[in-house]
Amino acid sequence: MIIELRDIRKSFSGTEVLSGINLAVKGGEVVALVGENGAGKSTLTRIISGAHAPDSGSIVIDGAEADLKHPQDAMDLGIHVIYQEFLHNIFPQLTVAENLFTLDKSAEFGRLFVNKKKMSRQARTVMETIGLHADPNALAQTLSVAELQMLEIVKSLGHNIRMLILDEPTAALDEQESERLFEQVASLRGAGICVVYISHRLEEVFRISDRVVVLRNGKVALEGRTEQLTERDVVSAMVGREVDDFYPKERHTRDEVVLSVRGAGSGDRFSDIDLEVHAGEVLGIGGVFGCGKGDVLRALFGLLPLTGGEVFLAGQRLPVTNPQGAIAAGIAYITPDRQAEGLCLQQSVSDNISLASLHSFSPTGLMQRRPEMTSTEEVISGLRIRTPSPGTDVGHLSGGNQQKVLFGRWVLTKPKLLLMEEPTRGVDIGAKTEIYRIINEQAAQGVAVILVSSDLPELVAMSDRVVVMRQGGLVAELRGADLNQQKLLEHALESSV
Amino acid sequence: MNASFLKLSRELRAIWMLLLVSVILFIATPLFLTGPNLLNVLLASSVTVLLASGQTFVILLGEIDLSVGAVLALSGTTTAIVLQSQPLAVGLAAGLGVGALGGLINGLLVTKLRMPSFIATLASTSAFAGLALFITQGNPVGVKNAGFLAIGQGRPLTVPMPVWIILIVVAAFGFLLARTRFGRYIYATGDNPEASRLSGIKVHRTTILAFVISGVLASLAGFVLTARLGTAQPTAGNGLELAAIAAVIIGGTSLAGGRGALIGTFIGAILLGVIDNGLNLLDVSPFLQGVVKGLVILFAVFLDRNSDLIRGLWQLVRPARKQATPTRNIDDGPANGSPDPQVPTPSIIIRK
Repeated sequence: MIIELRDIRKSFSGTEVLSGINLAVKGGEVVALVGENGAGKSTLTRIISGAHAPDSGSIVIDGAEADLKHPQDAMDLGIHVIYQEFLHNIFPQLTVAENLFTLDKSAEFGRLFVNKKKMSRQARTVMETIGLHADPNALAQTLSVAELQMLEIVKSLGHNIRMLILDEPTAALDEQESERLFEQVASLRGAGICVVYISHRLEEVFRISDRVVVLRNGKVALEGRTEQLTERDVVSAMVGREVDDFYPKERHTRDEVVLSVRGAGSGDRFSDIDLEVHAGEVLGIGGVFGCGKGDVLRALFGLLPLTGGEVFLAGQRLPVTNPQGAIAAGIAYITPDRQAEGLCLQQSVSDNISLASLHSFSPTGLMQRRPEMTSTEEVISGLRIRTPSPGTDVGHLSGGNQQKVLFGRWVLTKPKLLLMEEPTRGVDIGAKTEIYRIINEQAAQGVAVILVSSDLPELVAMSDRVVVMRQGGLVAELRGADLNQQKLLEHALESSV
Repeated sequence: MNASFLKLSRELRAIWMLLLVSVILFIATPLFLTGPNLLNVLLASSVTVLLASGQTFVILLGEIDLSVGAVLALSGTTTAIVLQSQPLAVGLAAGLGVGALGGLINGLLVTKLRMPSFIATLASTSAFAGLALFITQGNPVGVKNAGFLAIGQGRPLTVPMPVWIILIVVAAFGFLLARTRFGRYIYATGDNPEASRLSGIKVHRTTILAFVISGVLASLAGFVLTARLGTAQPTAGNGLELAAIAAVIIGGTSLAGGRGALIGTFIGAILLGVIDNGLNLLDVSPFLQGVVKGLVILFAVFLDRNSDLIRGLWQLVRPARKQATPTRNIDDGPANGSPDPQVPTPSIIIRK
């Protein structure tokens, strides 16, 4: 199968999102589609999948012009998309088998009453073809995100699939789950299916794709065989200029110890953790999903109880039991999910930035708006947050700027210790580099930083030192020449003795 | 801020409905636009304004307080009974105490026992209404205390006392919401409770306080109603919570929380009052009035939900107007990689 896009154009309310896309993809190849947010990837995806109609141009499938008016038209032609928000398509209260055979598919299992036994037997068979070992009778909500994603893939496989578009499929997966997904992608390619792989993670793109297509401002900025390209070529094409320093790491470690953790533990999440973080130092914590790295941050911020050990901040022993106490002690925590637990999307940029510092702007309980405006405007310009005005709702900003607002909130509290988890998740490359600069600036001011990230290149490049956790315990400390991805993975994955 | 009136903040959109209805009534009857009649509208709306003001705090949190009518009745009857043997101050303290306690109970049920506010306040409504019936044995309680009756019937500077009360309450509580730290807590918590908690806000305390405010303003409404009538009825509050909630919604406060303002609620309550008043002036059957109010509520919510549609229609009518530059595409594009916030993400439809 060959799908050709000829001069596709699309505008939304006067803004041209796609300005003449020409592209051909064929069965049995993995095409990586990359580009910054707003480059047009999602719109292009929606046009291929029939969710949007192009303003002009045509889609030609195997030589015949296709008229995709509705996602169903695309599905009938074997084109399927697994969106990043695929969880919206899952019915959490139905069983795995029922999710798999939703709607009229269930008619195969009896007209009036569904033959559940037959359905779950068939579900098991279909799932095992791609190595998903889930109980067909379990409720969908009991499955992990990775399993549900597999379930979505299984669903689309049942539809004489010829093209599968995966939109940021690894965003919610850990390292091992991602590995399994890559195997699936390879076997789909082997089966002659065309896989379009949309990702921000260049590492993955280079690992699994045959061809890379870079979109910028609604045009194809670069297209080529993956093996003939370098990461630098792709990044430069994405941002439209030469990028020399993707990770602008600076070193600011001072002698004084800001945080010292001795023998800390929290239930069965982690135990016996010893850490020391110096002023100006960025300490990375690595480890696979579930190793307890995030839990350590949550315990330091008072969200999980410490069941053993001691924590000293700037020499003072801390009993932090809630976020108020942590903030008062000078600890800031940038949460991994900025939408769910970070920002108040309907409130203004300014209100979001001042949210953790409200007391300093309202000693009597009345908000003093002038000092508040002055401070938040300083943060907006200092962190280069691009917003029409400080009063704009945060929800209207781009992902990268939203993330900078979250940084702004915590920078404004003038913390001694800055905890951050997945600080650049879902943020495009331009904004990533700016966030790294913010981390540098904080370190330069003597703030101690703990960085938890599943983005290994980022973790290795931005940390002065990385400790590795496995099953709730510390297993290694890497610095200098030892601090590389290979070593980090070895320690993180090594099976327990 | 854009000067275009269609971009008026959602909290103030109800004002166009209010003007529209007022103009219709002005044309329909000369009785409408007279000083005494407008004061009448305010006076008749006073109970709704008070209940809806408290309700606004609760709805801004994304919760709901169905018990305000029952709290009104319980505090009105309690005060009336206490006033039979005690001085004014004791009676008022008893009534306000009942309101605060009722709100506290609601708040604790919602926070500490993690009950959905709809269920918690549905249950407490039943309990409070039952208590009001029990302490009065189902009979109205007359009030003779002149000081108390002045709350409903006094006219300082020729303006009825309840009108003064609602103006003060709306100004004071509007200030509390817009200009204090507590107000910020309310908006932030209603928008995203988890983010608020992680930013050091005491989410439970904020929620409990909002319910207490709702309870206290409901008891104040109980004073106004009892004082106007001269008797406290154990069933006086029946159905009033619905008018209060309607006023909040018409006033543009989001049921999901995080968005809204007290001035919108005030306008919403006055709009309901104007409609009542107009239907009476036009001699419409009282049995039909509920139907008209229902339609107005639907229309107000329709306007709110379809503001994009209406803006689109407006642009068709006025093609000469330049299209507003979209506020998206700031820097590196809209959030979440969605190419266009107005276009909903399509979900995969599994068929065949």
